[in-house]
Amino acid sequence: MVCIRKATVDDLLAMQECNLFCLPENYQMKYYIYHILSWPQLLYVAEDYNGKIVGYVLAKMEEESTECHGHITSLAVLRTHRKLGIATKLMTAAQNAMEQVYGSEYVSLHVRKSNKAAFNLYTGTLGYQINDMEAKYYADGEDAYDMRKQLKGKKQHHHHGHHHHHHGGGCCSADVKSDEKHGSAEAKTE
Amino acid sequence: MGASLPSKEANLFKLIVKSYETKQYKKGIKAADAILKKFPDHGETLSMKGLTLNCMDRKSEAYELVRLGLKNDLKSHVCWHVYGLLYRSDREYREAIKCYRNALRIDPDNIEILRDLSLLQAQMRDLAGFVETRQQLLTLKPNHRMNWIGFAVAQHLNYNGSKAVDILEAYEGTLEDDYPPDNERCEHGEMLLYKISLLEECGLTERGLQELRKKEFKIVDKLAVKEQEVSLLEKLGLFDEGEELYRKLLSMNPDNYRYYEGLQRCMGLYSANGQYSSDDIDRLEALYVSLSKLYSRSSAVKRIPLDFLCAEKFRLAAENYIQPFLTKGIPSLFSDLSSLYDHPGKAEILEQLILELEHSIKTTGGYPGRSEKEPPSTLMWILFYLAQHYDRRGQYGIALTKIDEAIEHTPTVIDLYSVKSRILKHAGDPVAAAALADEARCMDLADRYVNSECVKRMLQADQVTLAEKTAVLFTKDGEQHNNLHDMQCMWYELASGESYFRQGDLGHALKKFLAVEKHYADITEDQFDFHSYCLRKMTLRTYVEMLKFQDRLHSYSYFRKAAAGAIKCYLKLYDSPPKSSAEEDEEMSKLPPSQKKKLRQKQRKAEARAKKEAEVKEEPNATAVSKSGKRPAKPVDLDPHGEKLLQVEDPLVEATKYLKLLQKHSSDSIQTHLLSFEVNMRKQKILLALQAVKHMLRLDADNPDTHRCLIKFFHKVGSRPAPVTDAEKLISGVIEAERPTFSQLHGNSLIEANTLFLEKHRDSLRHRAAVAEMIFVTEPSRKKEAISLIEESSSDLLPQNGAPLKDCTAVHKLLGTVLDDQDAASRWKVRCAQYFPYSTYFEGSHSSAAPNSSYRQIPELSENGSPLNISSNGSVENLDALKDLVIR
Repeated sequence: MVCIRKATVDDLLAMQECNLFCLPENYQMKYYIYHILSWPQLLYVAEDYNGKIVGYVLAKMEEESTECHGHITSLAVLRTHRKLGIATKLMTAAQNAMEQVYGSEYVSLHVRKSNKAAFNLYTGTLGYQINDMEAKYYADGEDAYDMRKQLKGKKQHHHHGHHHHHHGGGCCSADVKSDEKHGSAEAKTE
Repeated sequence: MGASLPSKEANLFKLIVKSYETKQYKKGIKAADAILKKFPDHGETLSMKGLTLNCMDRKSEAYELVRLGLKNDLKSHVCWHVYGLLYRSDREYREAIKCYRNALRIDPDNIEILRDLSLLQAQMRDLAGFVETRQQLLTLKPNHRMNWIGFAVAQHLNYNGSKAVDILEAYEGTLEDDYPPDNERCEHGEMLLYKISLLEECGLTERGLQELRKKEFKIVDKLAVKEQEVSLLEKLGLFDEGEELYRKLLSMNPDNYRYYEGLQRCMGLYSANGQYSSDDIDRLEALYVSLSKLYSRSSAVKRIPLDFLCAEKFRLAAENYIQPFLTKGIPSLFSDLSSLYDHPGKAEILEQLILELEHSIKTTGGYPGRSEKEPPSTLMWILFYLAQHYDRRGQYGIALTKIDEAIEHTPTVIDLYSVKSRILKHAGDPVAAAALADEARCMDLADRYVNSECVKRMLQADQVTLAEKTAVLFTKDGEQHNNLHDMQCMWYELASGESYFRQGDLGHALKKFLAVEKHYADITEDQFDFHSYCLRKMTLRTYVEMLKFQDRLHSYSYFRKAAAGAIKCYLKLYDSPPKSSAEEDEEMSKLPPSQKKKLRQKQRKAEARAKKEAEVKEEPNATAVSKSGKRPAKPVDLDPHGEKLLQVEDPLVEATKYLKLLQKHSSDSIQTHLLSFEVNMRKQKILLALQAVKHMLRLDADNPDTHRCLIKFFHKVGSRPAPVTDAEKLISGVIEAERPTFSQLHGNSLIEANTLFLEKHRDSLRHRAAVAEMIFVTEPSRKKEAISLIEESSSDLLPQNGAPLKDCTAVHKLLGTVLDDQDAASRWKVRCAQYFPYSTYFEGSHSSAAPNSSYRQIPELSENGSPLNISSNGSVENLDALKDLVIR
């Protein structure tokens, strides 16, 4: 019914359209480009049999904080393609990549308090728990649940040498300092 | 920097630079002013002050100061660099490059300027220059990883992949054996994957595979490793290993159709056009039987066989596939199967199959041959499927009967209304379709999908104002309509532009089309920041992929549609220019005084309202950047109705701008050349028009538009006066030399060529219409014959026989305008009203245009009309009151 695969740059326009068609939180193209150029492993799409993008997950790593963790920026499935378990498959794929590639310890997301269907998906099928409540998180004043799911994380890498300071999977390097400061706007838009 | 200054001022100058980099602009200005108090002509200080002001939105002062600074110190690389940065901030990259080059002439080894230059070269795809600059940077600072990577990427982009590999290997040679440390593993892994993909790209496949196996343990992204490996194995013809690896990938993700395709390729069971020998089909069948045992939960293993199985085997497999989805109530089942309708014979099998299920459920309550009963919803989903099936087959009447039966069965399922809306749209009743979509929308006001779909339908029904009011229900941050633009909601802007165009409102239409064009320009711009970012992040494979995406960005369909829309607007504008204000005044003076007064009042009110809106929007805190990657609020729209867009000096010059983009990026689309023909004929650019005709013939010689252009072109050049000037003689010479190359005109007159075309395409309405039109063009006296040629069409008029409503509508317009025979047009209309009873255009008896229709026509209001009230629950109130609000 639908193909679940990693997103490529060529999918971004269709992902944006899918987002604009069904979600109230929208982003400019640059934000999608920023995601795929930062964490190319964490974007997945659902493509129907006619090649149309009917769902996607847009995810990122929070690299500044001490605990390395993933974050789901946006998840959408077209209404016409419900009941196929697409959201679960997309989420699982992104979570696996966070864990495997980045050694993510947990994954977080925000969900509207009123969005019962999404809330049930996260708590039920996917095993997320409420971590906090963020008042007036959304532009229209609605509150958000800050939810988290623990991942296995902490994959040990094989080393030749004798490093003893394993800190997680070790890809959340916080030092993405710019050495090209002069006049260059930051690519990051968030 | 700041050299010629005494130490106190030199320190202040450093402070300006630092403040600029840390975005503490006020501090920078203060320091600059302190220097300028003592040294008012100090060039570098003036420049830096200007650059700082530029960041504070004081552009004109900025340019003034930067230019003054440069004038005072032409030998300063700082002044040139700053001038370049200023241009860069305004996206004037070519000017910026010139400035950087001047700066480098003074200070050739300045790393910062070289880096800035390299970014611009990447952006402008000055690839040779990019390689050169990157090489210089590496030579100057070989201890920076980024410089190695940058040089390699530059070589790769400049079509020298193997050189890029050499550079990356040289870089690796500088690393310790135990590299990378923990916090560099991702980046290093990405670099290795990039190198391996480069090896693959330059055909060094064997080496690529060796390298992959040697370095695999250093690459964190294991999925990418496998996908890369399997691609190399296939290229090397190592199909057994490839098969094994595809099976491994499938066990990780049995929903990735590309893995199935790869597996088939490795087993020698893949054909791009889907044609297989019966032997292959048996093997494929066996393959998927075995796979379905492994991945029982994946629908792919059951869906893919429906493509290659035929006849009875197809029937059985389809039945097994469909039944559980109907029981479960999967709304996308029809769309999933819709591609099978292009396979010969399968649509009929599916129809028979589903009708049997319907019959069985209705009589026994269960599927044929089964004792267990189905839940009541199964029948509804069967009806839902059948409705879409008949819609696809063009049998709109039956489709509507089925969907109505489904709605009666369960009136609460939103999907039913959406599908009914779509059927009505196909059947030719956009107004009823919009009404149904609105019903669906009101059933779940929190769901943006049904809202968007409703907006789409409203725009198709040319209810633009209503559509806008409905769309903004979901742009909640108060910015309302602008939000759709800021978020680059292109489908909406396109559909809105097309509706305005249909209604003849060229100003609004152009505004929407150009908005889409602007989004594409912005996206091109978006890549700028990533030229340096990706060299740090090391996501090089994706970066190069992004650059290629950008290079073909303008070939995407939304751009194509927007550019075509804009060109059509400009053509219309050229054919019938808008009235000048003097003419308008004259028209106004003809009005009775009472109406004149009303009109003036209305204009004044509109002006006042626009002014007030502008003031509100100018409040300073509107510029706050929100968290979700939105840009700061834009300045007020000074031309909300696109009136200024209509006041272009030469619409054809504007049209040519967009035409050039289409010719560059969509040269394989026949529409591009059709537009080129229309533009260039009007511009009297005969040879360019000829070229357009040739392109159309190359792409599709049987297309009726191609035929039209061919005949029109030679008819037009044939009726021109004899050439006088040298240029005219030259053109005539070219055309005479070219004419024999058109096989259609080989030994044939235009009239004969037209007849031959008719003989070839006698059964198609579209072709007959083109021939009729060309009869009229070449021999106006044979108009009667032309008209009867169209009216003779009979068998091919039924919708399921392939003459869609669109073609019949076009023919009606042709009869009414070009052929200008109102009697024939109304005869055609009466006839089509019978074939298309749901069509509003032909006022069919079942359409909402019919007097007894249950769908009330909602009159569309002009921009100046009273706004519709949408209550807090989102439903449009007072529709009855609106009925009387028709503007005369």
